[in-house]
Amino acid sequence: MKILKLSERLGLVSYRNQAKSEIKPHIIVDTDICNSGCPHKCTTWVCPANCYTMDENNEVHFQVEDCIECGTCMYACDQGAVDWNYPDPEIGRGINWNFG
Amino acid sequence: MEDKFDCIVIGGGVAGLAAAMTLARNNMKFLLIERGEFAGAKNVSGGVLWGSDLAKLVPNYWEEEDGGWERFINHRRLTFMDKQSTFSLDFKSKHFNETPYSGVVVLRSKFDNWLSGKVQEAIDASDFAMDSFIATNIKVDEVLMENSKAVGIKTGEDEFHADSIIIAEGVNNLLTRQVGLQDKYVPADHMLTGIKEIIRFDQHVLEDRFQLNGLSGMSNEFVGWATDGVEGGGFLYTNRDTISLGLVVGIKDMREKKRSPHDLLNHFKQHPTVADAIKGGEVVEYSAHVVSSGDSRVMPKELYKDGILIAGEAANLLMNAGKAIQGMDYAMRSGILAAETIVKAKAKNDFTSATLKEYRIAMDDSYVMKDIKNFQDAVHLLHTDTMQNKVPNLVCDFGRQFFTIKNEPTPKSEKMLLGAIKRHSSLWELLQLGFKARKSL
Repeated sequence: MKILKLSERLGLVSYRNQAKSEIKPHIIVDTDICNSGCPHKCTTWVCPANCYTMDENNEVHFQVEDCIECGTCMYACDQGAVDWNYPDPEIGRGINWNFG
Repeated sequence: MEDKFDCIVIGGGVAGLAAAMTLARNNMKFLLIERGEFAGAKNVSGGVLWGSDLAKLVPNYWEEEDGGWERFINHRRLTFMDKQSTFSLDFKSKHFNETPYSGVVVLRSKFDNWLSGKVQEAIDASDFAMDSFIATNIKVDEVLMENSKAVGIKTGEDEFHADSIIIAEGVNNLLTRQVGLQDKYVPADHMLTGIKEIIRFDQHVLEDRFQLNGLSGMSNEFVGWATDGVEGGGFLYTNRDTISLGLVVGIKDMREKKRSPHDLLNHFKQHPTVADAIKGGEVVEYSAHVVSSGDSRVMPKELYKDGILIAGEAANLLMNAGKAIQGMDYAMRSGILAAETIVKAKAKNDFTSATLKEYRIAMDDSYVMKDIKNFQDAVHLLHTDTMQNKVPNLVCDFGRQFFTIKNEPTPKSEKMLLGAIKRHSSLWELLQLGFKARKSL
């Protein structure tokens, strides 16, 4: 069986209104904290949707669009950089699982 | 909806729905709030719902033509895995075919939605058919407290008031933290990330491949090479025409070994045994969900306070002590017991800790807390390097020798076993392991 790339896997997720640009992100990450002395940058390894990436200069970047609301980063970050919440259904954003 | 409710249940997962069903049957006036578009829209689990409590909530659920569940388990397998081999404990039994089943595989988007329909039927049959509600698409921002007793909830600009709150919000328990029953930050040490693919087959192919008959199903857990040395394990469960295939992997251990969950899932899928099992399938969903290891150190400080009860994974009620990954059944039982406590509190008209502590007593008296307490050593043992790596390697090494027939003189099994032990561990280590296992399992 074909092994899927992460982008192909995320392509199977039912995101609602993912591209609505005016919507406030449900997770706010202070990457200044990540990039000024976090010894492990754990989130860049453990996020199942790879929302946290590390560039060639070992700088952490975050994007919320691919988030599948699992919560892993909330536990992974012990530096206080991740302000985690659920997406607000009022503005119609977030995921719907078809199987779950 | 202006009047005060007897209870507000936060979360339409297994715990919240079990609580709501129990409240409705006892003629309580309640509001269940779910943040998803429907109950189940946001919910993910492995997942097998173990035990027979479902039959208490939905009697004779198996008689329904297309109930919310996928298959009942009559075939169980625990597989040790190294790079090239798998060595399984395999148990299939006719007694599992009898109702009430002792385990059903579920897909939460379908199952929770179905169960929520049953709760609505119970509401319709209750005295508060017009006054109890299941409200979806609403996120609770805050539990409202007055003189350190919960009095309601806040969502956006709206407030709803109640004598009691059952928090069944799931593992990412922000409200449990807000009311002070769990630390604001829960470290990754005893938390794992579950990731899963739903893989679809032609139903006949699936049934033939896994030797399923009618709605029978199989559960298979994996330990060893599956997670490539990272703390955790793998699982495969059969649904109607799909399988749930995934891993549960330690968050801190992935960090230390610099591994990502999606790469580990690919690693697992490429094992020859797994590759054969999923050949020809089509991935139709990828999902993730955090779970606790079952280590009681991450459980909330208490399960109640004035006006509040905590149920299900919000209380980190989950455990894998080697026999099964149990979480949804703990959620169901805790939801039922929480609601029963609210019914008592209503009768006494006392929703303070003085009455709500009876939930704690009922939980401590139930199999949920008894098992969590009695199997803590097993949880710790399962997460050691010996159990995670050395034992699977040893078992598979022995299996290769034992099952390979060469046209030359065969050594005695004991010699094969001693050889495998020496290559992967030591007799002393195994003696210690056996001693610990005997006490803990």
